[in-house]
Amino acid sequence: MGSKRGRSVIAATSIFLAMSCLNSISTTQVGTSMLDSDTFCISDQYIMQSYFTTQSSLNESEFRHLHKECSENIPYEDVPAVATLQHRDVTGEGSHRHLLTTIKLRSFHSQSHLHKLVIVERLPLGVFADPFELQSLQQRRAFRDVSVFGDTDLEQPSFRSNRSVVEIHVEINGNGETSVKLPLHARYQPIGESGYSRVEFGEPDLFLCSRHVPNQEHEQRRCLVLSVGRSKTQTRSVFWEIPAGIRSHTEYVSVVTFVAAVLSAFSILVASVLSSKVESCKNTKEL
Amino acid sequence: MASGESPYKRTTYRYSPLLALLLVPNSIIHRSWGKFIFSASDLLVGLFIREILKLRKVVCTVSVMVWLLNPFTFTIGTRGNCEPIVCAMILWIIFSLMKGNLSQAAFWYGLVVHFRVYPIIYALPIILVLDSKLFRSGPKPSLEDWNSHTSSTEKKTFHFSVRSLFSRERIMFGLISGGVFLACNAVSFYFYGHEFLHEALLYHLTRTDPRHNFSIYFYHIYLHYERQFSAVEKLISFLPQFTVQLALVFSFSKDPVFCMFLQTVAFVAFNKVITAQYFVWFYCLLPLILPWSRMKLKWEGILCIILWIGAQTHWLLWGYMLEFKGVNVLLQLWMASLVFLAANTFVLVKIIQRHRFSPLFRQYGSSDGKNVKKLD
Repeated sequence: MGSKRGRSVIAATSIFLAMSCLNSISTTQVGTSMLDSDTFCISDQYIMQSYFTTQSSLNESEFRHLHKECSENIPYEDVPAVATLQHRDVTGEGSHRHLLTTIKLRSFHSQSHLHKLVIVERLPLGVFADPFELQSLQQRRAFRDVSVFGDTDLEQPSFRSNRSVVEIHVEINGNGETSVKLPLHARYQPIGESGYSRVEFGEPDLFLCSRHVPNQEHEQRRCLVLSVGRSKTQTRSVFWEIPAGIRSHTEYVSVVTFVAAVLSAFSILVASVLSSKVESCKNTKEL
Repeated sequence: MASGESPYKRTTYRYSPLLALLLVPNSIIHRSWGKFIFSASDLLVGLFIREILKLRKVVCTVSVMVWLLNPFTFTIGTRGNCEPIVCAMILWIIFSLMKGNLSQAAFWYGLVVHFRVYPIIYALPIILVLDSKLFRSGPKPSLEDWNSHTSSTEKKTFHFSVRSLFSRERIMFGLISGGVFLACNAVSFYFYGHEFLHEALLYHLTRTDPRHNFSIYFYHIYLHYERQFSAVEKLISFLPQFTVQLALVFSFSKDPVFCMFLQTVAFVAFNKVITAQYFVWFYCLLPLILPWSRMKLKWEGILCIILWIGAQTHWLLWGYMLEFKGVNVLLQLWMASLVFLAANTFVLVKIIQRHRFSPLFRQYGSSDGKNVKKLD
């Protein structure tokens, strides 16, 4: 009898332990909301604003260092830090396309101070965003705020340019879902063999920040790092095939170009000289 | 610029700060101020064409219509491109020269070269036509009456002597225009420093754009972009352009307007980068040479128009496939550029062949011809 009770106690304890283990596992899988929230504070309008003053590239290892500690008086909020990428695609044709992203926040509380979703899109080498176009979109209220950082040279081909980052601020609506359409343009790609160059898009970095108060310069705002999960339908990677020059064309393109230039120049030269001769013949005849 | 900052903060601004200054009312008065100015310049060009042709005693309605009613040229101004201002300045320079107003022509020439680098190609024909036998500042130069036969006693090209090379008029022109050019650059440099030098001047001189454009060189430049071109390669690619310019100047400089027109067409056709706005540079000079062309609209004229527009449209179709459909047609697009160069060459040669050569200035001391020939 004692052993039976003992066994059931052990069983109950094991089940309890198992359940609490499961609980903690699911908590860490879900994110870092309760135990070690990755929050930081910024004093600029944009998270990426001062990034390039200390960092020089957008590699993963360097990117993680943008988090700064908060001062004591910033209120801490316990908010679920998970977002799901419901849809991500590159839409359109040709050199000018849109990166469409739909994000859903888990259990969004409209009472929270953290109202602004910040999407930091580290653009791959090979595409760029036009700051002027984004500014006009902001004026038409497609985004709350938007800015481009990094290499914003619109004309360089991709092997001469460095990467750029687009930071978009959007307000979250009631159901915690938001959709962003970012216009992008293709750069000229490095030449290759196949005639096309594949540019792959990674996941955006998402943050939830409190609203920026425009007139207060040095106020710190808290931002929460969101971990991004993919929905079941969004499993394939997003890429863009951009036309690129073909290496095997190089020699005969150069030769034919110069032959064409020489032939044209020669025809014009001959026509000019002949025309002069004809005129002077005519003139001498008339004398 | 209205808020006191440099216009070069905008990464694709590659013009003189004077243009930005001219457009400051865009921020203050109305955002279409610039377009009004450019459209007004467009009309001014039409007026100048009429005045220049009147000076040469030619009835000019059709010619003026060729400029004013050309859908390509008037849309350039209305979409906000500054080329009509440049065209107006060039025509004013020609008009001033015809009136004998050397200093005014020199002043505007210095200004226009500061504004846009390309008019530097006109330096040689202008200097050549300032031959002291033809042009003396002070008295109005006598313009060749093209109805008569006085041209029969003159040689087509200039007879050089070292003394005449440095005539008073030529030196004055050089000094005034050079002075204006340097002064404008100095003021711009003072305000905007090296940014101005790089963006407004050096960029245009060294521009090699691998992005697709009408030029035959674009694919060659793109395929070689990863490595720099050597000095020898750059020189070789510049040779066709250089030879053609020299050939045209030394063949036709006595008729500087015709010479300038041919030079502009050739310059654009052989340039490393060709964009549609460059065509306006020779469109404004075309009405000035049309009255002397033996080319009839039917059918030679129409053939030239169809070939030139056709080659352009063909290029644009491939360009559309590349840019808006994302299909790799770079090779076909490059071949379309070659076809466009062929069309340009054909039209240029035809215009040369059909032109009735007419010097601008009459030599001092020659007598008027008695015969009056009708225009055929």
